[in-house]
Amino acid sequence: MSDPRIDEALRSMLPRMRRFVLWLSRDAHAADDLVQSAVERALSRWHTRRDEESLRGWLFAILYRLFLDGKRRAARQALLLGSISNDEPTWPSAERVALAHSTLAAFAALPVEQRSLLLWITVEGMSYREVADILKVPIGTVMSRLSRARRALRQLGEGDPESPSLRLLK
Amino acid sequence: MTTTTPPSEHDIHAYVDGHLDSAHRSEVERYLARHAEQAEEVHGWRQDAQQLRTLLAGDLAPAPGLDPILVRETSRRRRAQRLAVAAALFVCLAVGSIAGWTARGVGTGDAPMADAMQAYRLLAMDHGVGMDITTGNETDLRAWLAGRIGSDIRLPDLADAGFRPIGGRLFATEQGPAGMVLYDDGNGHTVSFYVRPPGPARHLLPRGAREEGGLLASYWSDGGHNYAVVSTSTEAGRGAAERVVARSI
Repeated sequence: MSDPRIDEALRSMLPRMRRFVLWLSRDAHAADDLVQSAVERALSRWHTRRDEESLRGWLFAILYRLFLDGKRRAARQALLLGSISNDEPTWPSAERVALAHSTLAAFAALPVEQRSLLLWITVEGMSYREVADILKVPIGTVMSRLSRARRALRQLGEGDPESPSLRLLK
Repeated sequence: MTTTTPPSEHDIHAYVDGHLDSAHRSEVERYLARHAEQAEEVHGWRQDAQQLRTLLAGDLAPAPGLDPILVRETSRRRRAQRLAVAAALFVCLAVGSIAGWTARGVGTGDAPMADAMQAYRLLAMDHGVGMDITTGNETDLRAWLAGRIGSDIRLPDLADAGFRPIGGRLFATEQGPAGMVLYDDGNGHTVSFYVRPPGPARHLLPRGAREEGGLLASYWSDGGHNYAVVSTSTEAGRGAAERVVARSI
């Protein structure tokens, strides 16, 4: 079962996976847990991966699903407990400093889907096809969502004083 | 001056992300040169993308704690743990089921006529203290049994074996009223004759015997009643029980 080539392929993707989830969950501990679950899942489902599928896209899809599942579960739990959850993320202090950069602050304030889209396309340099496969939508949909994400980032970055990005900086 | 059609959304993004070949790129550039407002937006997008790439490059730290080898080991251990828990549950269930199956109908089935042995312990050991009827008269005893348990019960006559009845007692059991007649040979040996209905499950017994705690119980079913003869499992008790059984069946 244990194949050093699989381990090596996964190992080379780890920093990217971790960065992606870090910017998705905005919580270092949650990020590590998510990546670990994703690696576990990838190992157990390695044989189900189609050859033409890029490893990168496959792993990001696993991560993204796990993240959304976790969020949904947390929301359900919050609903059950009747608590109004404080959505303020737990940023490590170093990252709080990094957020002083307006583009990063704006980026952190984007909805999860827009953040994922920009991480995949601009930061990871993935193709639109790969992203469309992860989200299971046509390429045209990816394009229009990307336009919306880029406009939102611009708008938040240019500093609308009422924008949530600035509240994040407190 | 050619009238260029505006580039598609796809081409605009591909331009921002640097996915275009040079021919397409200059086409988009030519268009943007003539459309200042859109050019400004696209320029901003490019700037944002570059900044994001640069700013997030620092987050690419190695994560040795998440190495596949460690994850493999962790999940293997967790699987083993889960398996152990499952196995433990299974063992508990199996032991419970087997014990339950083995103990099914204690007093009615697999420990046949355990109530007869208990009754013997209660009475014979104290040599008849606490009898309901104390008489050596077999006719009286037969009538007593007939009135309470059933009229077709044959009380064994053990006179020529040296055993005489000394009395009887009724017991309430789960299967119905039980009657016991105690015999004594005058030398300290006692044998009990015990009879009761088989119970609602009509659990009739094949002929058999078993020993437990120094007592010997021989049992059988006849005419819709379950019978037991109980004695001590000493040699004298054994011999007495054999004679009682031989005369009763």
